[in-house]
Amino acid sequence: MANKEMSVAELREKHMAAAETVNSLRERLRQKRLILLDTDVAGYARAQGRSAVTFGPTDLVCCRTLQGHTGKVYSLDWTPERNRIVSASQDGRLIIWNALTSQKTHAIKLPCAWVMTCAFSPNGHSVASGGLDSVCSIFNLNSPADKDGNLPVSRMLSGHKGYVSCCQYVPEEDTHLITSSGDQTCVLWDITTGLRASVFGGEFQSGHTADVLSVSISGMNSRMFVSGSCDTTARLWDTRVASRAVHTFHGHEGDVNAVKFFPDGNRFGTGSNDGTCRLFDIRTGHQLQVYQQQHGENEASQVTSIAFSISGRLLFAGYSNGDCYVWDTLLARVVLNLGSVQNSHENRVSCLGLSADGSALCTGSWDTNLKIWAFGGHRTVI
Amino acid sequence: MPSTRGSFSGVVGEDGVQYSFAMEYSGPPVTFDIPKAVPIDVETIPVASVVAQVSLSDKLSLPVVQPILPLDNRSKMFSKELKLLGCEPTVSPTSVIDGHECVSKEITLGSEASVSPHSVTAFESGVTDNQDCVLSGELCRLGALEFSNGRYGSSELLEMVNVCQSRSSISHGNSHELVGGAGSSGMFEFSEGIGKSGELFGSSCELRASTDFGKENLDANISNPPDWASSESVLSLDRRSSEVSSFRSANGKNLSTSDFKRPVVTFRGVDTDSSVNEESSIFEAKNSGFQKEPYNEAKKGKGGSCYRCSKGNRFTEKEVCIVCDAKYCSNCVLRAMGSMPEGRKCVSCIGFPIDESKRGNLGKCSRLLKRLLNQLEIQQIMKAEKLCEANQLPPEYILVNGKPLSHEELVILHSCPNPPKKLKPGNYWYDKVSGFWGKEGQKPSQIISPHLSVGGPINADASNGNTQVYINGREITKVELRMLQLVGVQCAGNPHFWVNDDGSYQEEGQKNTRGYLWGKAGAKLVCALLSLPIPSKSANSCGEQVHNLDARAVPDYLGQRTLQKLLLVGHYGSGTSTIFKQAKILYKATPFSYEERENIKLKIQSNLYNYLGILLEGREHFEEETLADMRSNQSSDESSAAITSLSPLMTQGATDGNFAKTIYSIGPRLKSFSDWLLKAMALGNLDAIFPAATREYAPVIEDLWNNAAIQVTYSRRNELKMLPTVASYFLERAADILRTDYEPSDVDILYAEGVTSSNGLISMEFSFAQPEPDDSISTADQHDSLLRYQLVRVPARGLGENCKWLEMFEDVRMVIFCVALSDYDQFCIDGNGPPMNKMLLSRRFFESIITHPTFDQMDFLLILNKFDLFEEKIEDIPLSLCEWFDDFHPVTSRHRSNGNSSNINSNPTLGQVAFHYIAVKFKRLYSSLTGRKLFVSSVRGLEPTSVDSALKYAREILKWDEERINFTLSEYSIYSTEASSFSQ
Repeated sequence: MANKEMSVAELREKHMAAAETVNSLRERLRQKRLILLDTDVAGYARAQGRSAVTFGPTDLVCCRTLQGHTGKVYSLDWTPERNRIVSASQDGRLIIWNALTSQKTHAIKLPCAWVMTCAFSPNGHSVASGGLDSVCSIFNLNSPADKDGNLPVSRMLSGHKGYVSCCQYVPEEDTHLITSSGDQTCVLWDITTGLRASVFGGEFQSGHTADVLSVSISGMNSRMFVSGSCDTTARLWDTRVASRAVHTFHGHEGDVNAVKFFPDGNRFGTGSNDGTCRLFDIRTGHQLQVYQQQHGENEASQVTSIAFSISGRLLFAGYSNGDCYVWDTLLARVVLNLGSVQNSHENRVSCLGLSADGSALCTGSWDTNLKIWAFGGHRTVI
Repeated sequence: MPSTRGSFSGVVGEDGVQYSFAMEYSGPPVTFDIPKAVPIDVETIPVASVVAQVSLSDKLSLPVVQPILPLDNRSKMFSKELKLLGCEPTVSPTSVIDGHECVSKEITLGSEASVSPHSVTAFESGVTDNQDCVLSGELCRLGALEFSNGRYGSSELLEMVNVCQSRSSISHGNSHELVGGAGSSGMFEFSEGIGKSGELFGSSCELRASTDFGKENLDANISNPPDWASSESVLSLDRRSSEVSSFRSANGKNLSTSDFKRPVVTFRGVDTDSSVNEESSIFEAKNSGFQKEPYNEAKKGKGGSCYRCSKGNRFTEKEVCIVCDAKYCSNCVLRAMGSMPEGRKCVSCIGFPIDESKRGNLGKCSRLLKRLLNQLEIQQIMKAEKLCEANQLPPEYILVNGKPLSHEELVILHSCPNPPKKLKPGNYWYDKVSGFWGKEGQKPSQIISPHLSVGGPINADASNGNTQVYINGREITKVELRMLQLVGVQCAGNPHFWVNDDGSYQEEGQKNTRGYLWGKAGAKLVCALLSLPIPSKSANSCGEQVHNLDARAVPDYLGQRTLQKLLLVGHYGSGTSTIFKQAKILYKATPFSYEERENIKLKIQSNLYNYLGILLEGREHFEEETLADMRSNQSSDESSAAITSLSPLMTQGATDGNFAKTIYSIGPRLKSFSDWLLKAMALGNLDAIFPAATREYAPVIEDLWNNAAIQVTYSRRNELKMLPTVASYFLERAADILRTDYEPSDVDILYAEGVTSSNGLISMEFSFAQPEPDDSISTADQHDSLLRYQLVRVPARGLGENCKWLEMFEDVRMVIFCVALSDYDQFCIDGNGPPMNKMLLSRRFFESIITHPTFDQMDFLLILNKFDLFEEKIEDIPLSLCEWFDDFHPVTSRHRSNGNSSNINSNPTLGQVAFHYIAVKFKRLYSSLTGRKLFVSSVRGLEPTSVDSALKYAREILKWDEERINFTLSEYSIYSTEASSFSQ
């Protein structure tokens, strides 16, 4: 008996020592990286004499306001080809919008009103949503409505032990979906069977150590995805290797609220509670750039959501104070603040996304509205 | 019908609804006017010529030209004629000009002599100023023309209206001919004149006049220009639009473009008593009178150019805003109306109530939209238009038994099992006893749910009957009497009947039921023939009604308003799920569906296997231990007889170390089962294989449970840390539970672990209304049952300062925080640190929740749960085991006297004293952090009444919250302390 107690104490000690070692190694790694990182993207670009993109106040204008939600909008997603948007709100509904006419085509009442995320399937025939019920629900838009006019849930993906914070369909695959959850894991689902194909992180201490808040699947290589978490890190995963993360990216000083792959698939951006966006390179593991607006004495507001323009030159970032900056990724300069132009949102910008052809940006806000911004005049899409 | 309109609209006036109309309405026309005003002056000449032609061709204008010269005489004469006999349509063209005069007479209600000169002179001055009388004549004619279009019957009243119309058009003529600067003055003069005349006979006349005026203006403005595009008319267009807007703002009501004026007149005839509200009531009456008109106009494209792009003419198809009547062409409609969250409204009109005249068009799609949008989009728009809250019928527009409804009453009416069909603004009577429902002054139209507490008491003349036969105090109509006679009810001697909702009737003052109305074979047929209502099927089954309380569909917009959210949080093991289950069992007619019960059954059974597994593991452990002890004993003193403290349990001395049998040993069959179960548990796939295994192993389980070794292990269950305390409840009935035909009872479900998902949020809606078998539901209860509550239980995991999703709950009304009292001696490992007292963990969690910014100013109800366990425990284990409670000294009398006055009569038990002590601890903590008052209740989660009273206490707090302003602070504090101890 006493022997056993001793061994437990011993083990704990060993564990502590190991953790200590890991931390010191991590610190050394960080130092090393700092030494290697003698410049950032903006510094180099400036040295090359590049200048920032210029944006007039009318170059990006709000051309549609999608009204119809009665609660805070939490998430939105575009269809890959057609101009439709799905949005999820605290009023307990998913709404499918036709972005061109700004009309609703479906309003789906959710079984659980506390929804956090939604996604369109690649073929545009179904949508997925997840929230505090810890279930990811799939709705087939073509299935007939029940007697109350509600669309039935066509598949429940249950198995998470915490809320579902984000979901994204694997590009070109309508049957696979990756979710992130408050139970510190990400899961790759097979929708046809409703079962978990792989679980990333969780019990074995190889994954995130806090709630995972977002995922983004690489558009170039759909086997790779990144996840951002409350443990202030972002991790890169290979769906074939569930046991451990390919890479862990440190740098943020707050929860990583948003991750998004760069269009070329070799980099990804993050947005965090610390008020910064960062650009990381997945091949070197380096942090390439920090996008931080120099605020005065007042605390920087949190980044809630990010998106890249189709070329990657622009980074759109929504902030908790209602700002929405357009960053020049090359020069790390804010070229436009959509929060200060006319018709801007009156509350936190909670989500944003770019249409597949890059011609329009949709922002969702806690003021219950979504807005579609398009490049005005003769400016070409970049 | 007439009276309906009159008084109904009077109500609207009181509420000043029309004022908001005015505000919002002034927007669109103004933007429209300003750009247009200037160009029109320039273009006057070309337009003029066209108009003249059109007007000529349109009408055989001979009669018009003639009357212009002998204006005064003729008009006077004519007006008299008009008044005396109902004019034929043929007269109307000529009457136009006289109309002016005539109107003034009308306005003065026949006393031409005194007042009419007044107005006439005003008019004349206008005319004399203006050079071409012809034009004014034309104008007049046009007005008349319109009138003849818009009218179907020729009654005296209508003629008068017609005259009014033409009069006003004349005045327009004047006004715009005087454009030079004083153009409008003539007009105002005129209205002044009317005003004076009105003084004599009450403001209603004046108002009517001005209304007509404004309406006419608008009419001309919007619909006529293309017809008569003379320079004057164009000018007048501009003029008028501004005038219109001024009228609008003055009258505070959107004047529809129609010239269909019958309601106005009827109103005047009826509404003699309520002179104060007449201003608005005119408009209301009018609006409800001609619902079709604006829509048709839009369809015909009569309304001129698009409000947004100013292009197009009246022939282009347009969509109309259901609030402000703005019209948009197909290019602009999507821009102007945006995503139409409330149907076809301009973006600026969103959130405003609709124009009542357009209520009939709600949800009816136009071709224009159908062309622009696809089917799904249109469905969504129409659905939103019909169902969104802003477009709903304002409750005060509906009068039941002469009393305007409140919002709650309308909800009751809408949500009753058998609601009135197609409820429109108006005056209704409702017989609460029998459920008869009809329009004021008419026979019953429907039988709705009885006993609804809506409206006032029914009047004897509600249906305007004259038969002297009464049903439930209402004098019935002839048709009804006939029906009664046909079905064989004795109606001789003008009896007074009482008819109940089931159709049974009795004579007033007599006890015995005389019969059943609907029991007679032909009764329903007779009713159908006489177009009288028959009871719907659901109306008969009263018992069902109450039962369906949960199921009946309350529209979303109503549901949202009456739903109060209660958030249930608590640290792991605090019993939140038990409370949730208990609430489900308490307030739901069917707490768990068949499927749920099946799942629960499987869950309970798999739990039981788990408990057994833990027992078996414990058994192995104990066996090893005993054997090890035995071996050490053997080695220490070789004697086989040596008996240690543990060995008395040995049944057989094991002489050789290899085969030892202890009291913990089991037979090979059970052993193999045990090995299999433990292996399955270790692999974690017990859930996957177990349902199939139940049948196979059920007999084994019974043997196993009865096995002495297991029983001995079970007696040492306190040493098995993994075994939860509830396990014994199930283990002792293991054999029963593992049968395939086992049906979990409510208590089983309450005890069962893991029935409610611990991973995610769960919520349930409920109301406190108790199903009552008899149908006499008191008013208070009915209102109560409308108040729906949603109990939301969230997992404790991840709830903390940094919690991302707690802000989703900023709309909850109250947070119910659960703490298990019996936790004070429990420890658990939190993170990597040393074991922590669970009570302290709860306290830490409590602090983080109450200080969370989302819950600023939120009411908190602390539920100190597991009071039963706590009472037992506190007798053995001192409370001071938890360091937070180290100053608890129950032996001193101080606490007893301090305790609570309500307990002074009965000697409080140690448990009660300790509960109060803990409650005060939490209250102090709460007020030190938030400066407010904490509500506390003790609960035994497994007792239904205890949970019920705690939740009802929560309801009282919410109610109290709404009334708090009325009480002084001291009263408040007394209330709260008493209430906090009320549930023990």
